[in-house]
Amino acid sequence: MTHKHVLSSAYKLIGIKSGVIVAAIIALALLPLYGSAHAINVGILVFSYLALGQMWNLLAGYSGLVSLGHQAFIGIGAYTLAVVTVSYGGGFFMSFLISIVIAVLFSLVISFPIFKLSGVYFTIGTWIVSESVLMFFRNWRFVNFDAGMNITRAFRIPQENLYLGALALGIVSVALVYFILRSKMGLSLMAMRDNPAAAEVRGVHLYKTKLICFLIASTFITITGVLLYMNIAFVMPGPAFGIDWAVSMVFIVVIGGIGTIEGPIIGAAIYVFLRQFLFNFPGMSLIILGSIAVIVILVAPKGIMGAIHGKFGFELFSVRRKMED
Amino acid sequence: MELFVQSLVSGILLGGLYAAIGVGLSLVFGIMGLTNIAHGSLLILSSFFIMIFVQAFGGSIILAFAITIVLMIAVGVLLQGFLINRVISKGAEPALLVTFGVAIIIWNILEFFFGANFFRLSNPLTGINVVSTRWMIIPATALFNLGISTVVILALHFVIQKTLFGRAIRAAAGNVNAAELMGINTSRTYIYAMCLALATSSVGGLLVGQTFGFFSFSGMGYLIIAFGVVVIGGMGSILGTFLGGIILGVAQLLGGYFFGPGVQTLVGYLTLLVLLTLRPQGLLGNMTRK
Amino acid sequence: MNENMLMTIENLNVSYGDFQALYDVSMQFPKGAIVSIIGANGAGKSTLLNAVLGINKPHSGKVTFQGQDITGKRTSTIVSKGVSLSPEGSSVFEDMTVYENLVVGAFLPSARKKKKERMEYVYKLFPALKEKASQRATFLSGGQRQMLAIARALMSDPKLLICDEISLGLAPVVVGDIYNSILEVNEKMGLTIVLVEQEVKRSLDYSDISYVLVKGSVVMGGPSDELDEAAVKDAYFGINQFA
Repeated sequence: MTHKHVLSSAYKLIGIKSGVIVAAIIALALLPLYGSAHAINVGILVFSYLALGQMWNLLAGYSGLVSLGHQAFIGIGAYTLAVVTVSYGGGFFMSFLISIVIAVLFSLVISFPIFKLSGVYFTIGTWIVSESVLMFFRNWRFVNFDAGMNITRAFRIPQENLYLGALALGIVSVALVYFILRSKMGLSLMAMRDNPAAAEVRGVHLYKTKLICFLIASTFITITGVLLYMNIAFVMPGPAFGIDWAVSMVFIVVIGGIGTIEGPIIGAAIYVFLRQFLFNFPGMSLIILGSIAVIVILVAPKGIMGAIHGKFGFELFSVRRKMED
Repeated sequence: MELFVQSLVSGILLGGLYAAIGVGLSLVFGIMGLTNIAHGSLLILSSFFIMIFVQAFGGSIILAFAITIVLMIAVGVLLQGFLINRVISKGAEPALLVTFGVAIIIWNILEFFFGANFFRLSNPLTGINVVSTRWMIIPATALFNLGISTVVILALHFVIQKTLFGRAIRAAAGNVNAAELMGINTSRTYIYAMCLALATSSVGGLLVGQTFGFFSFSGMGYLIIAFGVVVIGGMGSILGTFLGGIILGVAQLLGGYFFGPGVQTLVGYLTLLVLLTLRPQGLLGNMTRK
Repeated sequence: MNENMLMTIENLNVSYGDFQALYDVSMQFPKGAIVSIIGANGAGKSTLLNAVLGINKPHSGKVTFQGQDITGKRTSTIVSKGVSLSPEGSSVFEDMTVYENLVVGAFLPSARKKKKERMEYVYKLFPALKEKASQRATFLSGGQRQMLAIARALMSDPKLLICDEISLGLAPVVVGDIYNSILEVNEKMGLTIVLVEQEVKRSLDYSDISYVLVKGSVVMGGPSDELDEAAVKDAYFGINQFA
């Protein structure tokens, strides 16, 4: 095969891939026209969790920021929704806007202390931040302490709209990570991953890159929190800031393949279906999910996508730049 | 003023218990660089074991405690030998996530069997005060906790510093390859270290069970306390856990004194965050592990 | 198998991914001899030692010690059979005292019984260590570290002592002292010793048998007094000059 030939077949493959992706998106967007109510519900969950997983992947898989505290942002999103719609009679659009502002401000504030920490200290640091926020909400009269708040207005949204919102969120999260990795920022992230010592030399630049990823992930997780709680009638500090959210993010990324864009897509689908299936075994679901995650880390540390890539060399989203660009 | 003095004294006494909660985490970190997120859940697991065996074997808490230690050592062999040793050489993240998974599994198994019920181990010292004046009350339980934790930590310090076993552990902590060159099987050493940590955590589980009581999911809270103790005292420093425990205990109770008991835990967390930011290597200087 | 051989290496191949570091390396180590392995930086000396001690696993080939196959065994297992390595750059246990380093050196159950006499012996061999016994190893000089590494390796009562790059970064006088101590150990105790070195002359002078390693292959080998220093140097430097 000549060089040219290889290139043209590579382009052909890229063409096929983009075609498949576009077709899949169209088919998914039209789901409300042909899918059952159950399918739409599952879709909301899959795409919301895809957004969560992809953002956690951006942090842990690409930026070296293993966070066990991003459930804080779910809670912040949920409470913003509750406060804006119930306490102030605002709309959903307003809820999203305000939640974004709060998420960015809050991540900026906590980034000062926790970005001084690295490795496992960062991990535990994020967790303590999240637990502190939980404690704060439990002691906050404005949000009715531990008793929680109703999100009654949320009931007026048709499921189809929620579905489209979740789908958009999921697609944007994937696209965002893809474009970040293809950008200059992505290059320095890769450099850091391959050789932390060499990348250290560009310290200031790296700090900024990590911070931007952190802000993006926090904001998207907050938006997802708002969206998820539109589907839930009631918000309480315990569940809203619960470690369960972190468990699901870790599970999705670890199962699908940490540090791969496709991983969270596979992971989110598996997670939602497993949870639905395990619903029949109350109390057992987290035990089983946890066991699966531990086994996967031991047996296939790069997850399902890592195994597929290792065996067949296939990836849907290649973030490696070709020679010509 | 009386309340202030009482808060200070209680904080110091509470610190003794906190040190017992944290010392196992510190040991494991110092030796294998592992942040064991399952630490708190394992500690509470030992509380549950003690409770079960007290009921099963005629109410003797000493017998139940002895059986629990043996059982926790077995758990340590399984946990380290089959799970953590397989990922420990692959960097910090996989091992961290494995212990996270184990934490979730233990806590949900406990929840499966015991629900969200609150339990407490019987405590013959309940209600007895050693000192009872206008200025302060010192409950016998608190003094007992401080005493036991002192004994455990000093014993652990002695084992690590002065015995061949302890020196082998320190050799493995300093340089795995060089330790292997001395004929020390470092994988096995890690197993012993985990067993030692879980045995001391069982003491923590006993004291916590008698003093505060426990739920199936209270392990996560104790993990954060343990982490605070260890961070303040210096990761890997055995004696440092004392200082860490006392500072965290005093900070919490003074926080409760100034801002109300509802935010006691929050004040503890915030103190920890501030200290973590200012001195990530711990108050007592350098980290044992590079 | 030859009864007189303490250890033999047969056709050892080691690769790191696509890069092959050792090609069909074969060597013999007779009982009671001093054997030197001479090679420049990157010739594969460390790779060879790591493979012998099981720190990295050989691709193919065989290492036999006292008639037993020890290829790719766990390091601590190999050490327990009587192979002891004094590592390059003297990686002593920094946070422990000199005394503690030696105690850990005698970790093996077989060595524990002889700990006292062994310690007396190494203190006599390296008196500087006795003076510093209660100091932490961090505070030792380069030469003292090297002595401690060798002394620690001797504590395990080995049958074979491998010294990796003793002369690295040390003043010639200090190196000479250490070499003389090693010679003494060999003569008085009959211990088999392997010297891994970059210095051609000293290696040939002190050893009975020498092997020259160039780019992962043994290019010369035989009794040290039969090897011509100039020829060894040619082989050793030849690559650099004409490559």
